[in-house]
Amino acid sequence: MSLSNILDNLSRFRQDAESERYGHHDYEHRFGMAIDLDICIGCNACSTACYAENNLPVVGKDYFEQGQAMHWMRIERYWDDEELEHPERGASFIPMMCQQCGAATCEPVCPVAATYHTPDGLNAQVYNRCIGSRYCSNNCPFRVRYFNFWSFYESSWPEPLNQQLNPDLSVRDKGVMEKCTFCIQRIRVAKDSAAREERNMIDGDVITACAQACPTNAIVFGDTMDPTSQVSLAWKKHEVKRGPYTHKEAKSDEEIRGYRVFDELNVDPSVMYLERVRDSEV
Amino acid sequence: MSQVIQDKVIDENLKWSKINHDLIRTMETPGKMWWTAVLVCVAMVACAVAAEIYQYKYGLGSVGLNNPHMWDMYIATFVFWIGMSHAGTLLSAILHIIHAQWRKPIYRFAEAMTTFSLMTAGFFPMIHLGRVWNLYWVLPYVSDRGIWPNFRSPLVWDAFAISTYLSASALFLVIGMIPDMAVLRDHTKGWRKKVYGLMALGWRGDDRQWRNFRRTYMLMACFLIPLAISVHSIVSSDFAMSIMPGWHITSFPPYFVAGALYSGCAAIMTLFVVLRYFYRWEDYMTKNIMEKTCKLTFAIAMVWTYLNLIEFSSVWYGHNVYDKELLIDKATGPYAAVFWTMIICGMVAPFGLVFQSWRRHMPTMFVMSIVLQISMFTERWMIVAPTLSMSHAPHQWDILWGSVIEWAIVFGSFGWFSLLFLLFCKFLPAISTYEVKELCFHLKHEIEEEKREAEQKAKNTSAAGSQQPVSGSPGLEGA
Amino acid sequence: MAKHRLLAMFKDFDDAIECIEEIKAGKLTGKEIDDITVLSPIEHPDIDEILGPRPINIQKFTFVGAIFGCTFGFFFLSAAQASFLVQPQGGKAVVPFPTNFVLMYEMLIFFAVWTTVITFLFLAGLLRKRGSLYSEKLTVDEIGLMVEIDEHQLENSRSFFKDNKSLEIREEKA
Repeated sequence: MSLSNILDNLSRFRQDAESERYGHHDYEHRFGMAIDLDICIGCNACSTACYAENNLPVVGKDYFEQGQAMHWMRIERYWDDEELEHPERGASFIPMMCQQCGAATCEPVCPVAATYHTPDGLNAQVYNRCIGSRYCSNNCPFRVRYFNFWSFYESSWPEPLNQQLNPDLSVRDKGVMEKCTFCIQRIRVAKDSAAREERNMIDGDVITACAQACPTNAIVFGDTMDPTSQVSLAWKKHEVKRGPYTHKEAKSDEEIRGYRVFDELNVDPSVMYLERVRDSEV
Repeated sequence: MSQVIQDKVIDENLKWSKINHDLIRTMETPGKMWWTAVLVCVAMVACAVAAEIYQYKYGLGSVGLNNPHMWDMYIATFVFWIGMSHAGTLLSAILHIIHAQWRKPIYRFAEAMTTFSLMTAGFFPMIHLGRVWNLYWVLPYVSDRGIWPNFRSPLVWDAFAISTYLSASALFLVIGMIPDMAVLRDHTKGWRKKVYGLMALGWRGDDRQWRNFRRTYMLMACFLIPLAISVHSIVSSDFAMSIMPGWHITSFPPYFVAGALYSGCAAIMTLFVVLRYFYRWEDYMTKNIMEKTCKLTFAIAMVWTYLNLIEFSSVWYGHNVYDKELLIDKATGPYAAVFWTMIICGMVAPFGLVFQSWRRHMPTMFVMSIVLQISMFTERWMIVAPTLSMSHAPHQWDILWGSVIEWAIVFGSFGWFSLLFLLFCKFLPAISTYEVKELCFHLKHEIEEEKREAEQKAKNTSAAGSQQPVSGSPGLEGA
Repeated sequence: MAKHRLLAMFKDFDDAIECIEEIKAGKLTGKEIDDITVLSPIEHPDIDEILGPRPINIQKFTFVGAIFGCTFGFFFLSAAQASFLVQPQGGKAVVPFPTNFVLMYEMLIFFAVWTTVITFLFLAGLLRKRGSLYSEKLTVDEIGLMVEIDEHQLENSRSFFKDNKSLEIREEKA
């Protein structure tokens, strides 16, 4: 049975990210984001929303200092000028979460196939299957995978805070890797209701918690396979394409600011950032 | 005269009954020293067990790991022990195939070392798992859910490679011991006679057994060499198959294999000195053999040094910003002390091996081998930790020195290895009597052959010489 | 007719080889070179030479084991990979030949080694009782020659071995 399966479908099994179909799947959706760093004010609302939506444990000061925090969505701050008069003013922000790479480096290294690629273009993590070898995190250039180093759930939501947990997804115990899912529980609900109403999903059916919470609308979420979606339009406008990294010519227009983080590593991230225009340059 | 004997690999006139006796006397009822050593080892293992229980109960946070440092000393120590296991294969398989006779008195304990260091190394991938109770998911068993391990993951290759290597090297050890088991069966009494009788599998040394034995040994040696190379290449792919700076390096497989042989040789030197001293095996573990081991170690050390320098220079000229920054940071950053320990102990110290007087002085060689081991341990550390500390994303840069739990388990692994080795020395033949006998036999033959040839030559020259005066004498007389 | 087994012990290989040569020359009536078994504490190349060609078949089994391990490895791996319900693709092919070769290589060696060892145990006649006709000196330094003899030739054979510098002759009824 398996043998005939291989022989019949060998050409499909041999498809990789650089092939026409971008891989084994016939993609139904390829969810992606566009984040405008010019609009981002670094307020951490996205991060907070993520904590609430995804049952992320609040680890406390000590564990945070040890680097064991569980913030799926984190605001990274960078200073490129060391001699700033007011360092608070000169920081650049970049909200960083799982980039749901098309050719994710975390996937092939997992010994038990606990992380896989869905037909929605997402990089899914199966908590039940994870044995905690942590190889995926080691192979992630963005370092956006978080490991449950302790049984955080025991102390994170003392009564009655446990009432605020999101029932749509599980609470993870120690020894399991987790990361941003693009709010897969919301995608699931939207897909189901679209199916019930016998229609295709349309732009705006799903919005992630971070995008929803962003006060300046810096985060745009949507299906990059749908040419009319907001995110597709943004990608097109800023001349960023899905697929393997190709050395691009200089952008024709200064208004075109799109780029993907670590694009040169050829991992095909699903998140486009819009470059920040700095005060000094203006 | 004593100088001449010392310079032989082994004194070929050793009585064969003495060889048997010298083995059996070390396996008699253990003395105080042995018990003390066992107790120390058990205490060390107890530290590790206590630490592991704590870690199992509370989670891997107790190891001090954090987001950039998902791996640390566990993986480094794992690589260290796997590396050490390559010594046995080097001595028993590679040197067997190239007919290096001097390996015969010392290969058995090196082989045992292979098996035991694999048994030590095997613990680390398990200990470092977040959910160790689901370990069996890495095994390819048939499940009705149609779930298999991910055969593309280097960690699954590790599981395959290590189980293959462990079973192959253990079989190699056990098969190679059969004739020695027969010796023990014939010359011990009581329960030992029964146990060794079972383990000898009915060996009586007839020509059919020897013929098949030799062929089996050769076949297994032929398979063990590529296996050993592949095992450490696969361990290196844990790193080389990733995209992290400082890991994704083409020269990693040969570099790891060279490092493995290097640390294996250093371990052989350590145990050589220890066994020679405590078992009074000066007749077998001769200074001549030590010299040869040292020369081999030196050669391998130079290969390792070369590959190290190649790696540095290819990173430097490759000009990949992540790799280059990491290299600079290794040499000047927070890990600089460890990095330079590795360089000095691993690249400079082996030059001590070029002095003959050093090579023949056992205490010096003991210290030297420990220094080389330190270099190898820090090498593995410097492979694993700095990459995670300083990878692509600068926001996640951090330093990690590990917690007490982690170091206790690393410490305990040395106790576990030593404990296995102590038990081995007491219960299994640490020296291969039949191979030593063969060595003596062949040396004797060679010497006799040489003598015969020399006599023949002397006869010829004397015959020629006796002719000379006959033809020359008239001339002399004439003069 | 009752058969007897004789075990003649010799001081060293030279004496034993001389005796074998005598047997080869037909000095021991009714016995040919293939009838004798040499027992020794170490392996000696000259013994093999003088005994003539005797079969070693382990390598054939090893070869079969290796080929089996390799092909089984390939089909096992790709069948398993193809039957995954979810595919951890990571931009790579689902059935990737380069990485499967690594495991095929390991499985080749695994099966080859195990078949070698198991075949060895059978072909070398191990895993059975050693037999009572044995001398403990065989694991020290003496060499033994074992022959099966008809009863009426017993006396004759004893004296033959004694004439050929045998130190000791043990016997038992077959």
